[in-house]
Amino acid sequence: MDVQRYISSGIIENHITGLLSESESREVLSAIQQHPEVKAAADALQVDMERYIQLWAAKPPAGIKRQLMDRLHKNEAEDPITAEPETFTANTNDDTFSEDTGSGLGLNLSQLQIWQYSAAAAIVLLLGSVVMNIVTYGNSGNYQQQVVSLQADQASLLAERDALKEQLDFAQKENGVMKDPSFKWVRMPGVGKHSGIVATICWNPQSKETFILAQALPEPPADKQYQLWAIVNGKPIDAGVFELGSKAHTVQKVKAVDNAQVFAVTLEKKGGSPSPTLEQMFVAGKVAG
Amino acid sequence: MESAFTYTESELVQGLKAKDQKVFGYLYDRYSPALYGVALKVLNDESNANDVLQEVFLKIWRNIDRYDESKGRLFTWMLNITRNSAIDTLRSKAHKMDQKIQDIGDDVHLYTGNLTVLPSVDHLGLSKVLEKLTKEQRIIIDLAYYKGCTQEEISKVLEIPLGTVKTRMRNAIIQLRNLLKLV
Repeated sequence: MDVQRYISSGIIENHITGLLSESESREVLSAIQQHPEVKAAADALQVDMERYIQLWAAKPPAGIKRQLMDRLHKNEAEDPITAEPETFTANTNDDTFSEDTGSGLGLNLSQLQIWQYSAAAAIVLLLGSVVMNIVTYGNSGNYQQQVVSLQADQASLLAERDALKEQLDFAQKENGVMKDPSFKWVRMPGVGKHSGIVATICWNPQSKETFILAQALPEPPADKQYQLWAIVNGKPIDAGVFELGSKAHTVQKVKAVDNAQVFAVTLEKKGGSPSPTLEQMFVAGKVAG
Repeated sequence: MESAFTYTESELVQGLKAKDQKVFGYLYDRYSPALYGVALKVLNDESNANDVLQEVFLKIWRNIDRYDESKGRLFTWMLNITRNSAIDTLRSKAHKMDQKIQDIGDDVHLYTGNLTVLPSVDHLGLSKVLEKLTKEQRIIIDLAYYKGCTQEEISKVLEIPLGTVKTRMRNAIIQLRNLLKLV
């Protein structure tokens, strides 16, 4: 893997801001584990982000912390009404006592009863509200899960659509090259011991655009790459390296070629050479006319 | 309630996983201003930001077991929770994507009221940093850090090619890094 290119691809930025899909994130995490440079870059980006965000810090209203801690306590305490029965007992005692002292205290008695009923009603309401809270909270969890899964669906559909669009664009471009009459097609048969293989050049002498279709070249070793040369008056001019693998069956754009009598492909070290290694020439072909 | 001592990040995580409320209180004191700043910047509304902040800290408390130190910093994890909660709130309030981008395009400073009074933050430093970034660099950073836009989305929003977004974002972050060294 080209670590510098990976770091500059922007994928680590997307990763730390939490914008990648799960599978993409896994890839980045394994790159972080394998390459210390990638890990250093990811760490540095996180520190930058934290410091930038700290610049925008704003003190929240003072009451929030207390509310929050109260909610934690509420969550922790499974049984919030253990203290209640004692209150009831006290009231009942009071009540008995009042009845014994006779009817002269009737007014006080009914006030006491009102308080008792209100307290009982308040406790019932409180219990009801606790139950409702629990139910509502449970429901909101469901909705959140639904939202999350719908969002994930939508994101994967979008990604699929973008990938298809890219393929379509590419196919249209490829189609355009095939149809354009100003393009010359140059067939490059195998040279020497490589007879039997073939690659094709598609070259526009006016616009200088050059493409290669390398469907029949053997896959190069990992440290090597094929390089295209345009031969002008006997001198080879570099026309760029190209890849095989998944790209072998597509038309790949190479460097613009100004003028050429012959095109040839050699196997060179990765990234290309300044001049061709002639004994590693695989295919070559003359431009017609 | 302010804690007089400090915890390292891994002590914090351990304390939270052990459901230590004192550690949680410390976490709140230490990080709530930064996360509140994020919620304010995304929502541009104090009462919504208050709700989001509470929701975020409850999520941190409940889900701390899902946090994996080997995957990134605690702050990054909390930040992503905050941004996602704030963006969910925005969406549920039927704000449209282009509206949120409109806001940021009009004024990258967005929320300037009630800025922090924490000693760790130096407002002179903030304006120094912001002056040295171009408007476009600030927009790109804000879209990524606060608005949860991928580089692909930024490219569509700003109508510049993806490759350019990548280069400019890297340049903006490198510039930011250099500026932060001076603060």
